Amino acid sequence: MYKGFFNTKGYLEVETPLLSSTLIPESNLSIFETEHTHPFKSNKKAYLVPSPEVWLKRFLSKNPINIFEISKCFRNSEQSGRQHNPEFTMVEFYSMDFTHLDTLNLTKELLNYINSNYPDSKLPNKHLEMSMDEAFIKFAGFSLENNISKEQLKIRATELGIFTEESDDWESTFNRIFIDIVEPNLPKDVNLFLTNFPSNIQTLAKQIQDTPWAQRWELYINGIECGNCYTEESNPKLIKNYFLNEGEVKHSVDMDYYKIFETFPECSGGAIGIDRLIMGILGIEEIQGVILFPHHDNI
Amino acid sequence: MGQIKAGAIEKGMFILEKNTPYLVTEREFVNPGKGSSFVRLKLKDQRSGAALKITHKSQDNIDEIDVEEQNCQYLYTDGENYVFMNNETYDQFEVPSTGLEDEKWFLIEGDSYRVVRWEEETLGVKIPPKMDMEVTEAEEGVKGDTVQGASKYVKVGTGLTVKVPIFIKQGEIIRINTDTKEYQERINK
Repeated sequence: MYKGFFNTKGYLEVETPLLSSTLIPESNLSIFETEHTHPFKSNKKAYLVPSPEVWLKRFLSKNPINIFEISKCFRNSEQSGRQHNPEFTMVEFYSMDFTHLDTLNLTKELLNYINSNYPDSKLPNKHLEMSMDEAFIKFAGFSLENNISKEQLKIRATELGIFTEESDDWESTFNRIFIDIVEPNLPKDVNLFLTNFPSNIQTLAKQIQDTPWAQRWELYINGIECGNCYTEESNPKLIKNYFLNEGEVKHSVDMDYYKIFETFPECSGGAIGIDRLIMGILGIEEIQGVILFPHHDNI
Repeated sequence: MGQIKAGAIEKGMFILEKNTPYLVTEREFVNPGKGSSFVRLKLKDQRSGAALKITHKSQDNIDEIDVEEQNCQYLYTDGENYVFMNNETYDQFEVPSTGLEDEKWFLIEGDSYRVVRWEEETLGVKIPPKMDMEVTEAEEGVKGDTVQGASKYVKVGTGLTVKVPIFIKQGEIIRINTDTKEYQERINK
């Protein structure tokens, strides 16, 4: 179904490795680690990719064309719940000369395509865009524009009766408020595009100039987050800084990765979790309902 | 009292939040887009019966309460409190009715229950998933009245009203699902 959509749009389907000897540093993701053994030399560490991004960006630096990949992704330490499986399927797609807003329109088209080709689809027909700041004003009662410091965020959290830790950084405090009070209240009867994430959350997305926001959105279907999109940062210096500043990671990182951005196209990348999308299409509330052999904590 | 990480909380545990003991009734993991992991908890204040929704980072330290389960006999109620007796020590103690809104319908005088205790406080009375109870009030079923799917309402000894098939009579024993408070079957004495 998704293949059909991207094929009609002229996107090239690619297949990249599930194993990589280095990954992008994303300090909040926990990685599955394995070893590539050699009969006569020392073993080398290898990692199961948490998303195909590390490979797709290498591909794009040499081949600036519209691509998509349907890939297995692996995230360790994600305890099985109604929305989580440590191994899941994702469609990741990159569009040349697109911004995150162009990808937003493309994603709306994809959802409409699913609904028109699959009459039984339970996906909402309506789409809604809401900025993160609008969501905070509406559901947490304050604007992030005026409460941008960590200390002010903590005060707001405390006022809302939300527990915080002394050691919380800005992102943790933001996430506590978001998860506790904003996300549960997001509209569920629409395909919600939550736009303009705070720049304080470090990602490889471009910034919206002269604002505290990043060119990033997430897609929510039935209140469950199932997509993420950036206008891709393409400035090698900024990418290098991201690699230097991202918190501690346990896996190997290629500190020369930024060099691929010396020949990187202006583009936007989107990723949609297919299992969660199917949950939306079928109106199923548990990810176990769409996976043949769901993982259990006691594998 | 021991400290555990919020990510290790399981449904059915008792934890301390803001110096109040709570029963964990629901737990769901959430990972905001590539962010750190969180747990969403639904808690029940065992003193007031009030529900609380709370979110924690999986790494937060939480006080888990070491509760003790005791085998106790339910003696009587004075309306305000329910009086129990520990079957081993014969100690009697009172449980305020506010924390037993759901359980009170299944407390039969003289019967024994597993009671969850913590520091002289009762945090919960465990009700078996199914209980056999005597019908104390039943209207005669009206023959031919099948509009309601041939069912009617009866009362059991504790005052609970249950929807039953039309053939159930006063004095009969019926099996009830204590979770849903629904009729399951007639028990032939």
